[in-house]
Amino acid sequence: MEKKLETVMDELIARPGVVGCVFADHQGLCLGVTGKASDDSAGIIHAIAEEAARLEPKSKPPVILLENDNRSCIITTTGTVTGAIFKSIN
Amino acid sequence: MGCCYSFFCKDENSSQAGDVNERTHLLIDPVSNNVNIQRDSEDILSRNSSILPKKTDEQSALTRILQETAANVIDVAALGTHNLQQHDYLERMKLYNIRVQQIMNNSRQKFNRKGNCILQDIPNPERVLGSDPIAAEDLNLIISAVAGASAAISDIKVDHKEDLVVPFGLLNS
Repeated sequence: MEKKLETVMDELIARPGVVGCVFADHQGLCLGVTGKASDDSAGIIHAIAEEAARLEPKSKPPVILLENDNRSCIITTTGTVTGAIFKSIN
Repeated sequence: MGCCYSFFCKDENSSQAGDVNERTHLLIDPVSNNVNIQRDSEDILSRNSSILPKKTDEQSALTRILQETAANVIDVAALGTHNLQQHDYLERMKLYNIRVQQIMNNSRQKFNRKGNCILQDIPNPERVLGSDPIAAEDLNLIISAVAGASAAISDIKVDHKEDLVVPFGLLNS
């Protein structure tokens, strides 16, 4: 049933530098989580994407990059699905 | 009674020029001559008293009016006397600065205690704002990943293996 999503997440986590990923639906509910990521963050990630999209409502959904010294978090929305990828910075 | 009599006989009084006769006023009181005409019958009783108390009544009435008016008037020019002196300004400035510092410290501690604030002030914003935007590799990665996830989720179907409607409790009957 959700095998395709699991396949997508497994492929993601196998990429170099990726330590985790989260997917949320249009209400911020967690659809799937892998690696070093919490399903609690799904709602926050969805809210961040939604707020950023309100800056330019006519543009396509933005890609948001949150970064600190050793981690980065990339967020974007396609259709009703919001995804976040956590990467470690070497 | 003399005053009262002179009031009622005023029309016949032709001795204003200075001739002294029996109708001449003993005491010349322009206030009682001019104002008393407009007084009502209640005041006629009080006219029996001497002229001096009447004068004080007029004065006290005028004083009362003056006081009432003064109480209702805001004297802007007089407010200048309540201005703060220079050292008062300085003292208040110090006091307010101390209060602001206290409040700032308290709120800062609150934010630090919570620890769930994602966005914070940074000392050198130029360094962050001037940093490279997202790498093309990461951009492609996230776009393809979320597109793949979206496609995968739209493919989700419920494949039920049992009947959705079950005859519940019919077997026992």
